[in-house]
Amino acid sequence: MNEVLQLELIVGVVVTFVLIMIFVASAKKGNFDDQKKMMDGMLFDSPDDLRAAAEQEAKQEEMIAKKKEKQNSTD
Amino acid sequence: MSDIKCSHCKLEFHESVLIKEEPSLYFCCKGCQGVYHLLKEDGLDAFYDKMRNDTIAPPIESENDTSNFDLESFKQRYIKTDENGFSRVDLVIEGIHCAACVWLNEKVINQTEGVLEASINFSNNKAKVVWDEDTVKLSHIIDKIRSVGYNAYPYDYSDATEKSVEAKRDYITRVGVAIFGTMNIMMIGVAKYAGYFSGMDAEVLHMIHVVEFIFSSMVLFYSGWVFFKGAYYGLKNKIVNMDLLVSGGATITYIYSLTILFGAQGQSYFDSVAMIIMFVLVGKYLEVLGKKSAMDSMDKMKNQIPLEATVVKDGVKSVLMLDQINVGDIIEVKNGEKASVDGQSIVELATFDESSLSGESLPVEKRQGDTVLSGTINIGKVMRYKASKNYANSTFNTMMNLLEDSLASKPKIEEMTNRLSKHFSLLIILLAMFSFVAWYFYSGDFEKSLIITISVIVIACPCALALATPIASLVGISWATEKGLLFKEAKFIETFAQATTVVVDKTGTITEGKLKVKKQIVKGGSEDNESLSDENLALLFALADASVHPVSKAIKKYLLETGREIEPKALENIEQVSAQGLEADFGAKKILGGNAKLMEAHNISVDQSESTIYHFAIDGVLLSTFELEDSIKEDVDTLVSYFKANDIELIMATGDNAFVANKVAKEVGIEDVRAEMSPVDKAELITKLQKEEKKVVMIGDGINDTLALSRSDIAIAMGSGADVALAMSDVVVLNNSLEGIKDSFLISRRTYKFIKQNLMISLVYNLLTIPIAIAGYVMPLVAALSMSLSSLLVVANSMRIKNINKK
Repeated sequence: MNEVLQLELIVGVVVTFVLIMIFVASAKKGNFDDQKKMMDGMLFDSPDDLRAAAEQEAKQEEMIAKKKEKQNSTD
Repeated sequence: MSDIKCSHCKLEFHESVLIKEEPSLYFCCKGCQGVYHLLKEDGLDAFYDKMRNDTIAPPIESENDTSNFDLESFKQRYIKTDENGFSRVDLVIEGIHCAACVWLNEKVINQTEGVLEASINFSNNKAKVVWDEDTVKLSHIIDKIRSVGYNAYPYDYSDATEKSVEAKRDYITRVGVAIFGTMNIMMIGVAKYAGYFSGMDAEVLHMIHVVEFIFSSMVLFYSGWVFFKGAYYGLKNKIVNMDLLVSGGATITYIYSLTILFGAQGQSYFDSVAMIIMFVLVGKYLEVLGKKSAMDSMDKMKNQIPLEATVVKDGVKSVLMLDQINVGDIIEVKNGEKASVDGQSIVELATFDESSLSGESLPVEKRQGDTVLSGTINIGKVMRYKASKNYANSTFNTMMNLLEDSLASKPKIEEMTNRLSKHFSLLIILLAMFSFVAWYFYSGDFEKSLIITISVIVIACPCALALATPIASLVGISWATEKGLLFKEAKFIETFAQATTVVVDKTGTITEGKLKVKKQIVKGGSEDNESLSDENLALLFALADASVHPVSKAIKKYLLETGREIEPKALENIEQVSAQGLEADFGAKKILGGNAKLMEAHNISVDQSESTIYHFAIDGVLLSTFELEDSIKEDVDTLVSYFKANDIELIMATGDNAFVANKVAKEVGIEDVRAEMSPVDKAELITKLQKEEKKVVMIGDGINDTLALSRSDIAIAMGSGADVALAMSDVVVLNNSLEGIKDSFLISRRTYKFIKQNLMISLVYNLLTIPIAIAGYVMPLVAALSMSLSSLLVVANSMRIKNINKK
């Protein structure tokens, strides 16, 4: 019985630590700078908005790659 | 006909003034109509679903050319290049009201070819835009923003801003970790306390203590690091501050709990360690947020000044950035534009709205040689003036700098508990040390001596003392919130309760701050607009609608409120006559609307009056006369009599002229009036009163009051006031009522009384229990229970604050 409790507590501590690390990393990156917008997003963002955000990210990656390519060719 | 919502901005208007489109589209203006169709064409009509029940202002029509955004000087000042070679600018987006506005602007910018990233912060309307300069120009991005009815200005992403963002992120991280840790400890605590009553295996209890130890160590040493740092710097400067108490109290509890973890008998208090740190840290975080919001408002205000100005040299007009303007340059200001630097008028007559600087509610006439102040708006015809100062030394910028200084240097009121705790905690530490030494020499038993020492510390832990102020303040503040009063920080209650003098602004505080038609006299002496024919009424409405002058706006509003149907009329040759009014043609008819001077210029005889009068005439015949006034708020008498009854000195300080100021003061019963005061004069008045050992409360609502608000001991702003005034204030009266100001006095005085009672309760408790603990009659567990009981007593007493309502 005690071993089960011990295991549960260890798993609980590890999971909490992982979550805390994720939270700290995202907070330092600025994900919580605009809490109001974040809360609104959680409540009101539609599947279309999420799709648009994914497309925007793809567009950004493409633009950065193109820019780098251009810079390399000029060098 | 009824009121109908505009299909774009959702504001309600009388059907007669709306532009109708089949089948059922209505627009309040061409701007709304244009933006509506643009959004439909671009597939962005989801904007209207996201708006839900919100309304927005009609689109901002900006005539300024955006090519300045591509100037080299602009790039040097505002644009940065990132490591990938993309350009980055920080903008303030004007006109954002709701989440839908943020969504729309982000969409529009992100859809623009060449834009890598656009992200708008909803809380301060600031946008970060990253784009490829080779593909698109910034001016094009600004044009896109303007096309959907918003406007954008750049702002300096200074080191101070960077630091405040970093400080906020740091606090979010620490607060988040503290909440995570405390929540876990509390969940485990449920099992621990359940086991305490029903019995628990020692091994399981030890495991729980280990987990609590892990989480509380994380909270104490990571989240609570700010307190250790504060305590260190405090001690370095020989100050025993609150940080020392918090970190000291938490560390002692932590060390005691460690002894339990490593085998000593008793209860561990790891949960208390985490909770102390978390609660105090949340309070500190709110303070950081408050400061950041004040800085954001300052940025917003700075951007009210145009980025460039039209300078005329040798008859050639050129648009220059503000820092390129030199003393002696001739500057042209169009109708509705703001003066960017200080100078002297070189035109015969011009009219300016100085309300943002002086609070003067009526337009001010500027004759040749008169001073034109930066930040004021030209509401007359196009005018020119000669710059007498450069931008850095002009009034608006000087005021901003003064505000920034006072924001940074506003003295912190030392909290009463901090003052008491400072001596109290030192005394407790000495008593605990004394108990340990005395018991060790008396009994020779180290463990017993330690247990008694811990009991002394636990029983005397200034929990009740620390709770005395915050819990009473919390009850007081929540009571205030119910009444529409927002106290930004609990400590303001103490200062507020001790206030001796109140300085009150006139416009927007004592008066409504907007001109209203008091009386209309139609030709023949009738006081009834029904006597004005439908056609003449429509012509008067069209004339009033053609101007942004406050008098015209008041006439327009009055006519709309009459409920009579108004047929739209298109006037021709509308001409603004500076400081007089408007002239226009309608077919062969000559329409006039303005003051007595305009009428006299057209040989129409009218009665002279000291009040604000608007005459309306057609073809040389006076048809109607309107008397306007800035009406006094209804509940002003209650406030003035409350101050008199409580011996609080009341001073009215206003930028208005002496005639208007004295008239209002006489009407409301204020004896001490200071008229024609500039923002700096008001601030100096506050400082002078403070030097006379008075605790000064300043009540204001405009940008012109912000300097005085920042200098005062307590600043109260009306909820409808300027953003920066709200940011600088300590208390906001959300419902704009003067009754609210009276309530804030009542609530703070009563709350302060209870704070003092609570402090007395906690001190008496400590005086009674500490000697018993030193004598060795209290076990740590009993000490902890007793400590909780004293805290409960303080909480129960605080709950009585609101009982006044029930009596």
